[in-house]
Amino acid sequence: MASAAKRLDAVPGTPAPQISFDAVTLQLGGKAIIENLSLGVRAGEFLCIVGASGCGKTTALRLAAGLYQPTGGKVNFDGQPMREPRREIAIVFQDYGKALLPWRTAAGNVSLALEAAGMTSAERPARIEELLRTVGLPGHAGKYPSEMSGGMQQRLQIARCLAQEPKTLLMDEPFGALDAMTRQGLQDEVLSLVAASGATVIFVTHDLDEAIYLGDRVIGLLPHPGRIGIELAVNLPRPRDQLSTREHPEFLRLRRQLFDFIKATEQ
Amino acid sequence: MNRGAILWRVASFAVAAGFIGLWQLIANLKLVSPVFLPGPDRAWASLVRGFSSGDLWSKLAGTLEHMAYGWLLASIAGIAIGAIIGSSRTMRTYVAPSLEFLRPLPVSAIIPVAIAMLGLTQAMALFVISFGAIWPIMLATIHGFAAVEPRLYEVARSLQMSRLAVILKIALPSASPDILAGMRLSLTVALILSVVCEILAGLDGLGHWVLLSARAFRSADLFAGVILLGVTGYVTSVAMSLAEHKLLAWQAAQH
Repeated sequence: MASAAKRLDAVPGTPAPQISFDAVTLQLGGKAIIENLSLGVRAGEFLCIVGASGCGKTTALRLAAGLYQPTGGKVNFDGQPMREPRREIAIVFQDYGKALLPWRTAAGNVSLALEAAGMTSAERPARIEELLRTVGLPGHAGKYPSEMSGGMQQRLQIARCLAQEPKTLLMDEPFGALDAMTRQGLQDEVLSLVAASGATVIFVTHDLDEAIYLGDRVIGLLPHPGRIGIELAVNLPRPRDQLSTREHPEFLRLRRQLFDFIKATEQ
Repeated sequence: MNRGAILWRVASFAVAAGFIGLWQLIANLKLVSPVFLPGPDRAWASLVRGFSSGDLWSKLAGTLEHMAYGWLLASIAGIAIGAIIGSSRTMRTYVAPSLEFLRPLPVSAIIPVAIAMLGLTQAMALFVISFGAIWPIMLATIHGFAAVEPRLYEVARSLQMSRLAVILKIALPSASPDILAGMRLSLTVALILSVVCEILAGLDGLGHWVLLSARAFRSADLFAGVILLGVTGYVTSVAMSLAEHKLLAWQAAQH
């Protein structure tokens, strides 16, 4: 299992991974949260990470973001060690209510990322409008986050992340707090946004169906300490479809395999 | 405004009118000597006379000036110091005990110290007023900066925002409800201390006017000054509330 990155590297003609974990260990307070995790993510790949709660999937994402530094091993981005967060890597947090600025309107929240990137105030309005349209929030520019539904707030956070023009999009259970209908709509929107931008995605979720539906590859983590327990390639045709993809025999086979894995880890 | 709110408003005015009527009655019946208690009619006449002769204008301007300078200095220093202490856990740990000692210290206790060091001057007044008014602002700022949502700092990190941008765009707006509440409390403190300093140091202002009127047994003038001080406190507090309401419009949207 520790050989995922090396295996990718070993195939001739395969480009080096955009993000690579090389025997990464993270200890917090003397306790190993993640141990000896090796993993490579190709540019443009959609990788989903699942696992029981407390298995370190969010921690792995924060390591990829540069919000944590590993206590052992290396996290590389484009071949360079990750020392701190960078604008090319955007994170969509699960708690959109805390990640948005309540005193700024929807337009102002998107603007924050553009301001950080040094875009002039003359260029910003057009770009903000474009981004809000992309995530399906046209006409909501003047609303405060508190005036928006959960789904709309999460769209707004995604718009702000897209404003970073990220090479990599890290998503931490982004739809975990949303109802089923909103969630399915957003899954499809994320897929088309990612297809359009070509960004690499690492998507953490506890919803196994969601992981298979979205991903090119699904990794299941084992808890205490977090390490890779299962790795599945998802060879389902794209574009994915909420009905036909979920009825596909391959989808059902993967689903069965993943459920068995999770059940085993919980015992 | 609905009917109930209008009724309450009318009732509150009726109560105020009742008090003034009672005051007039007591004065007319001479239950208290007119040397000490003028009726509202005489106080009002004195107020009008004071303004038309121009005397009260300059006294009012003097008090407003003391209050405004002291309060502004306290606000700038309080927000700056509070931001530094509030944004660092280490600073909070080290400085908090000293603050706990200084905060309950009655400001009146430092007036003699200020007079000894600065004399009966405007500088003394500025020091005393801002020293008294700084506490609510500084403590509110410390609290506001300490309570910024940590998630927002992570957003700032992933956007690679500069330290200055983080303070101006995230910490300060996040702490602004606390800071403005502290500034409103300080406004009252600044007015009280302005009057005290004017009385003690003989500086031009309503405090001095009230003192001289009392010494000369001009009770109508005395009451005119007191009424004007009450109005000043009320008007500045209402203005501050309006400013808060406008600056924190985003908070209203949360309910």
